[in-house]
Amino acid sequence: MKDQALLYTTIRRHLPVWLSVLTGFLIWEIAGRSTSAAFMVPFSETLVRLWQLTVHGEFLSQLLDSAELFATGFVLALIVGAPFGLLFARVRVLRVGVEPYIMILYATPMVALIPFILSLMGFGFAPKVLVVFLFTVFPILYNTVEGARSIRPELIEVAKSYRSSEWALWREVMLPYTLPYMMTGVRQAIGRALVGMVAAEFFLSATGIGRLIMEASQEFDTAGVFAAILVIGVIGVGLTRIGLMIEQHFARWRQ
Amino acid sequence: MAEQALSTPAPAAHKPQAAAPAKKSALVPRLITGVVILGAWEIVVRALAPQYVAKPSTVVLAVPRVVVDPQFLTALGQTLGAVAQGLAVTLVLGTVLGLMMGRSPAIDRVIRVYVNGFNALPMIIVLPLFSLWFGYSSGARIATIIFAAIFAITMNVADGARAVPREYLEVSRSFRSGRMRTLIDIVLPASLPYLLAGFRLAAGRALIGAVVAEFFLSIGGLGFYILYNSRSYHHNEAFVGVLLLAGFGVGFEVLVQWATRRFMPWYRRGEK
Repeated sequence: MKDQALLYTTIRRHLPVWLSVLTGFLIWEIAGRSTSAAFMVPFSETLVRLWQLTVHGEFLSQLLDSAELFATGFVLALIVGAPFGLLFARVRVLRVGVEPYIMILYATPMVALIPFILSLMGFGFAPKVLVVFLFTVFPILYNTVEGARSIRPELIEVAKSYRSSEWALWREVMLPYTLPYMMTGVRQAIGRALVGMVAAEFFLSATGIGRLIMEASQEFDTAGVFAAILVIGVIGVGLTRIGLMIEQHFARWRQ
Repeated sequence: MAEQALSTPAPAAHKPQAAAPAKKSALVPRLITGVVILGAWEIVVRALAPQYVAKPSTVVLAVPRVVVDPQFLTALGQTLGAVAQGLAVTLVLGTVLGLMMGRSPAIDRVIRVYVNGFNALPMIIVLPLFSLWFGYSSGARIATIIFAAIFAITMNVADGARAVPREYLEVSRSFRSGRMRTLIDIVLPASLPYLLAGFRLAAGRALIGAVVAEFFLSIGGLGFYILYNSRSYHHNEAFVGVLLLAGFGVGFEVLVQWATRRFMPWYRRGEK
C-alpha cells in the first residue's frame, strides 16, 4: 500500500518533466520540419547525424581531444589553486595582500587574453591548456580566500593556547573551514573550464568538439552543429551534477 | 524592512570590530603585492619576450593615446551598448521567468529541465549556430549576450521566489491581495538579494559573451579592437582594452556588493 503511494508520487513528480522534455523534442521536430534546412533541422535528423558521426568514429576521437584539454587545464588549476588557497588561509598577511588582486582577476573576462596568448604561444596544446587554466584557477582561489576569511581568528588563538601542533591546526581548523568554500569554487570552475575549453578550441588551433562544430557550420551541416551542441549539453549537465555533488558533500562541514 | 533586519540573527555583529583595525593594516601588504606583481611582469617581459609584448611601463604610456582614439571610443560604445541592451532584456525576461518558476510548481517542473540544461551549456558553443541564424551582425552579439546571461538570473530569482517566508504570503493573503499584487509587492522585493546575486553572475557572463561574439563574428567592439590590435602587434593598445574590460567586471562586482550592503544589510551573501 505504502509502496504504491510512493510509486504514485514519484510518477506524479517525474511525469511532467518527461512530458515537458517530450514536448520540447516535438516542438523541435515540428520547427525543424517547417523551416529551411540551413536554419534548423528536426530532432530526428539530428539524432541520425549524431549516429553517423559516432559510427564514423570521428566524434569519439574529437571528444577525447576535448576531454584531454579540459582535464589537463583543470588539474593544473587545482594543483596550483588548492595549495595557494590553503596557504592564504594560514598566513593572514598574504591573504590580505592578494585578496583584491584575486577578486580582480576573478571578475576579468579571461577570453580577452586569448589574442595575446595566440600571438605569444601560437597554436600548440600548451596555449590552450593555459586558457582553460586561466578560466579555472580564479574561481577556486577566490572562493578559497573567501573561506579563509571565514575562519575566526579566535579559533586559531584557542587552538594555539591549547598548544595544538601546526599539523593539528591545519587538520582541525584550516581544512574544515576552507574546503567547503574551495569546493564551491570547484563547482563554479567546472562550468568556466568548459567555456574556456570551447573558447580555446574556437580561437586557438581548432581541435576537439569546437572544431567539429565549426567545420559543420562552415559546411552548412546544420544537423552536425545541432548534434554536437546536444552532446556538449548532455556533458555539461553531467559535469554540473558532479560539481554539485562534490560541493554538497563538503558542505556538510560548513556551519 | 526594519523588522526583517531584526528578525534574522545577525552573525556579522562582531565582524565590524574585527574588520576595523584590519582595514588600516591591509593597505601595506596590498601595495607590496601590487608592486611585486607589476615588477615581476615587467622584468619577465623585458628579459624574455619580444619588444611589442605588453608590459606595465609601456601599457601606462599607451593609455593616454588610446583613450582619445576615436576608433577605441566607438568600439567601447558598441560593446557597452550591446551589453546594456542585452542585460536589460535579460533582466526583464529572466526575472519574469524566475518568478513564474519560483511560485508555480507546475511551471517549475515544465521548464526547469531546460533552464538547467541551457545553463550548463558552455554558452559560446552556440555562436556558430547564432551566426547562421542572425548572420555576422550585432544581432547575433545581442542574442549571445542574452543567452549567456539569462539563465543565471532566472535560476537565482526562482530560488529567491521559493525562499519567500511563508508569513509574508499569509499576511498578504489575509489582506485579500490578488496573485499579481502578491507577486509584485511581496515576492519580488523579497527575492531582490537573489536577483542581485544573479545579476552579478549575469553581468560577467554578458561581458564574456560580447567579447567572444566579437572575436567570432569579427564585428566592431572592444573585443574586436583587442583582437585587431594584438594581431597587428600593438599589444600595449590592446591591453588597455583588457584593462577596461577588467574594470567593468570589477565594477559590476563592486556595484552589486555595495547595493546588497546598502539596501539589504540583513543579507550577507547571495552566492549561488
